[in-house]
Amino acid sequence: MKTMQTKKTLRSLWAIMYYLGFTPMVRNPLFMAFVFSTPFTLLFILFVASNGTALPYGLAGALTMITTELGLFVGTDLASYKLQNRFQDIVVASPVSPLIYMFGVALSELIFGSPALLILFGLIAEQGATFGALVSCLGVVMLLWVTATSLGFFFSAYAPNTQNAFIINGFITTMLSVLPPVYYSVKVLPVWLAPLAEVIPTTEASALFQGAIGLGYSVEPVYGFAVLLAATFVMLLLVSFKMKWRES
Amino acid sequence: MKALEAQQLSKTYRKAKAPALDSLDLEIESGQIFTMLGRNGAGKTTFLRIASTQLLPTSGSVTVLGLDAVKEAKELRRRIAIAPQEAETIYPLTPRDHVLLSLRMRGVEKHEADRRAKLALEDLELAEVADTNSDWLSGGLKQRVIVAMVVRTDADLVFLDEPTIGLDPVNRRKVWEQLTRLKKAGKTIVLTTHYMDEAEALSDNLVIINKGKVMAAGTPQSVKAAVTNRSTRVDVMDRFSKSELAEYGHVVAIAGKLRVLTDADGARRLGDEAVARNATIAIAPVTLDDVFVDIVGEAEKDEDDAD
Ligand SMILES: Nc1ncnc2c1ncn2[C@@H]1O[C@H](COP(=O)(O)OP(=O)(O)OP(=O)(O)O)[C@@H](O)[C@H]1O
Ligand SMILES: [Mg+2]
Repeated sequence: MKTMQTKKTLRSLWAIMYYLGFTPMVRNPLFMAFVFSTPFTLLFILFVASNGTALPYGLAGALTMITTELGLFVGTDLASYKLQNRFQDIVVASPVSPLIYMFGVALSELIFGSPALLILFGLIAEQGATFGALVSCLGVVMLLWVTATSLGFFFSAYAPNTQNAFIINGFITTMLSVLPPVYYSVKVLPVWLAPLAEVIPTTEASALFQGAIGLGYSVEPVYGFAVLLAATFVMLLLVSFKMKWRES
Repeated sequence: MKALEAQQLSKTYRKAKAPALDSLDLEIESGQIFTMLGRNGAGKTTFLRIASTQLLPTSGSVTVLGLDAVKEAKELRRRIAIAPQEAETIYPLTPRDHVLLSLRMRGVEKHEADRRAKLALEDLELAEVADTNSDWLSGGLKQRVIVAMVVRTDADLVFLDEPTIGLDPVNRRKVWEQLTRLKKAGKTIVLTTHYMDEAEALSDNLVIINKGKVMAAGTPQSVKAAVTNRSTRVDVMDRFSKSELAEYGHVVAIAGKLRVLTDADGARRLGDEAVARNATIAIAPVTLDDVFVDIVGEAEKDEDDAD
């Protein structure tokens, strides 16, 4: 009975990932190019403008930005499934639990972003990163993904319509992963500005990437992890107030 | 056995002045097709959303399949399915993907889901476009994809909110066939529609609601009969004024003619008078359409407009 239920739950999760993540990716690979053009463009600009010396910063930045985008897209996905095509209504009146649904949508974005992430990891490895460094990077990706996804949940819960969700998404992406020290080191900021930047989770994620790929840790790793975890916690807390599986 | 029971169910949306549901009581027998009729904004979707555990009521209770829709939502969700109003297909999934997504997320094993998806697509004449990107389908085809998502699930009770909207008459009947098939399989169907012929053809029982209140309930026949002294309608094309007709029954102006809702005796008297005046009339039994307009329509206003 118990295993039967677990089996069904896994089937639900798989179905959501397969049809909302994998299928769109395979059917429309060009879409990935559109979505991930900005981080790769920034990476390219940094690379050519610095004669290659800033490439590691570009890689840390692109990794941070793509992972952030993946999380935020969960927000626009959820908003459109709820507000536009009413898929969420179909899911609510079904055996699929809210947790499985949200997890499924989040994983489907991760699947969608996995080719871009693979390319970046390939580039990092190509730069001579050790196996340990790659594993650290993977850990930071997972942690940032959780943080960014909770941010996505947060924005979906507050989005009044899909147009808004998309516009806000673009703005937040820039504010979180282009403006702060994501593609550069927090050390180059004026001293009065640095503390402000250091509470932004993407700054910490990028600093952790930078440290892992041998650029030196500009912040204490423990502090970085703490900021990411705290941001995740706060976002999920806010989401739990606002996001309701059943409307009132 | 009752498949659904609502007691004193009320819903007032936040910031709304009037309630969307106002102390609604209704019962649905298990294994029946039950239809909710009502004007735009009457509260049909609100009711379906509460009963299908999407929305919380302000007060009152709904029990579905013996489970409280508020307190036992989790158990209930395993046994229901819904085709929501205004649901849209998901880009870039095909009709087959939609049906498979619906079945497999509900826990149906892959081979069984494939088999059922094939049937569902055939049921709704979607086989030819089964593997076409849904974005390229016409409006009626997209609507059928949404219906196809619920016709082969294991749910014991299926809610369909205006499932035949935008469908041509042939395809509407395809949907009817599916609903009848589900009923034969012992399932309960809760339906909303604006097509009175559909309600008449399909429903075991129906309810007409207005402003969140039940105005009439029963079988299509009994609802029609319940409107006293109005079993017959007489369409009067010419030679009578509205006020002259008032003595024979209830007068409604419809597209340039006057329709008198009356009983057999009134029809007979009016018929005699029409023959005397050489007027053109048509006599027929009332339809659900007439009864609906009579109950919830602003017949008086229409009448005045025609004068
Ligand atoms: N989310 C909402 N917030 C506020 N008011 C709402 C909301 N949804 C519906 N209403 C209001 O509640 C009332 C009932 O709406 P409902 O959608 O249940 O009607 P309906 O009978 O399904 O109409 P239709 O035939 O047009 O689909 C209407 O007055 C509507 O404006
Ligand atoms: Mg409605």
